[in-house]
Amino acid sequence: MTAPVLEVRGLSVSFGGLRAVDNVSFAVARNRVTTVIGPNGAGKSTLFNLISGAVRPVAGQVLIDGTEHTGQAPNRLQAAGLARSFQITNLFFELSVAENLRLAAQILEPMRMALRPVAASRAAQERVDELLRRFDLDAKRAMPVSKLSHGEQRRLEVAVALAGKPKILLLDEPTQGMSHGDTADTAHLIKSLASDVTVLLIEHDIGLVMSLSDTVIVMHQGRKLAEGTPDAVRGNADVQSAYFGHA
Amino acid sequence: MADALTRSMRASHVLVAILVVASLIFAAVGVAKGDTFYLRLGTEALIFAGLALSVDILLGYTGLLSLGQALYFGLGAYVSALVLMVTPSFWAAMGGAFAAAVVVGVVGGVIANRVRGVYFALITFGMAQVAAKVVYNMRSLGASDGLIGVPIINVNFGFAAISSASPAGFFLFTLAFIIILYALAAYLLDTPFGRLLIALKANERRVPFLGYDTVTPRLMAYVIAAVIAALSGALYPMLRGFVSPELLFFSTSGNAVITVVTGGVGTLIGALYGGILLTLLKSVIGSYTEHHLVVIGLLFMGAVIFLPRGLMGIVRPAIERLLARRTKS
Repeated sequence: MTAPVLEVRGLSVSFGGLRAVDNVSFAVARNRVTTVIGPNGAGKSTLFNLISGAVRPVAGQVLIDGTEHTGQAPNRLQAAGLARSFQITNLFFELSVAENLRLAAQILEPMRMALRPVAASRAAQERVDELLRRFDLDAKRAMPVSKLSHGEQRRLEVAVALAGKPKILLLDEPTQGMSHGDTADTAHLIKSLASDVTVLLIEHDIGLVMSLSDTVIVMHQGRKLAEGTPDAVRGNADVQSAYFGHA
Repeated sequence: MADALTRSMRASHVLVAILVVASLIFAAVGVAKGDTFYLRLGTEALIFAGLALSVDILLGYTGLLSLGQALYFGLGAYVSALVLMVTPSFWAAMGGAFAAAVVVGVVGGVIANRVRGVYFALITFGMAQVAAKVVYNMRSLGASDGLIGVPIINVNFGFAAISSASPAGFFLFTLAFIIILYALAAYLLDTPFGRLLIALKANERRVPFLGYDTVTPRLMAYVIAAVIAALSGALYPMLRGFVSPELLFFSTSGNAVITVVTGGVGTLIGALYGGILLTLLKSVIGSYTEHHLVVIGLLFMGAVIFLPRGLMGIVRPAIERLLARRTKS
């Protein structure tokens, strides 16, 4: 059996006395959508920070294709094939939409292109054009990101994360603050991504989670409460009490 | 098709071309009138514009405010003076200034780049102050008097030579030299490496998640700026025949920042126009009052309040629009 594309073993971190993520383990299947859900403060974003190298865990391991990458810097993890988006839009606001994507895509160019004019970076430029079409941002390509609508910024956030052709894509609430129509479009987009990239998602919209996910992981107070197919998780008594309290 | 950042850079090139034409006219008039003073003042303005260029690479493109760029300017000037007093060779002086800037730039860059923002500004300020005090108190470097008696040299190209004593000749040579530094900087900033620096300025914290190390490019930008400052400084003793510790003082670093802010941060060309404007103002106002710094200070405050994007922040977008229209039609 081949190793899972992403595996997390016993991951833990504390902030002060608070165990924000407590001994969390799971494996993510290749080219599937795995969604992490849980009430506010359950440790979902912290879990993403641990996996993506933003925060170093105090215990546990992160394995990509069976190789250990625990606590590595984000740029090393990107080289290993892992990219992420952010819950709070984190882009180059004064630069254009196309330049945001180009910056993320220029990692695809060989090192010798680093000191040639950007116009010579063909591979990066093709990737930018492809993503502008796919994310329906072509009309806005020359616009500074600060001038985009919230929904467009959220879309670009995902596109930028995807630009470097990662194997594993961590999306932290990509539909945060989106209108209902935009949310549905984004769900469709994420579903289409899973044909060539493994998606690990944090999402609050339960309808979207149920329709989109192959596997759902439920977190509560820093711990993994349940893991399974959407239907299995929905029927889980622990999950129901975590969300709705004890009857 | 050129993107927005490439187009901005091209607009700067147009403004450089205008500057070169104006300088050639200035030189021709100077020669016709047998002028020395203004040609030498113009040369000095260009030399300080080179220093400002190095500040803009850090401040305008990498997002690093250096308050100690005089360290490298003075380093280049002193190394150049010392080399010239041993062997009057332009190339040896430039080679020495270049090597010293790389070595000191790497050391200073490693120290300063450990911190960000205000702390970076303070560390660069502190390093330059330490260097200035050391030079100021060092007998072998002439202490507070500086080094005097730097010989007149011939800049030898093999086929032709330009004397540093020729006002028009050395002015034109300095013009060409600073334009080459500008062209090098402009080229670098329009490569993926340069765009990475721009990304660091725009949002440094996102950059590692795109797969890039941030330490190395920031250090490289610092060393490149150090080299440009040192090479500009190396011209100073050729022009004036002496170097003094003032070149390392905060007033030199501070003036360079004022130059960039007045000329337009993040335009490169703003450093050149700003450098010329400031040197000219200092000289003109200085001939009426010895308190010219008060006037410069007020002008700087005015520029920050009324022209937050500097002179070129107003002029350059207009040229960008012209260029955009021409490529469309």
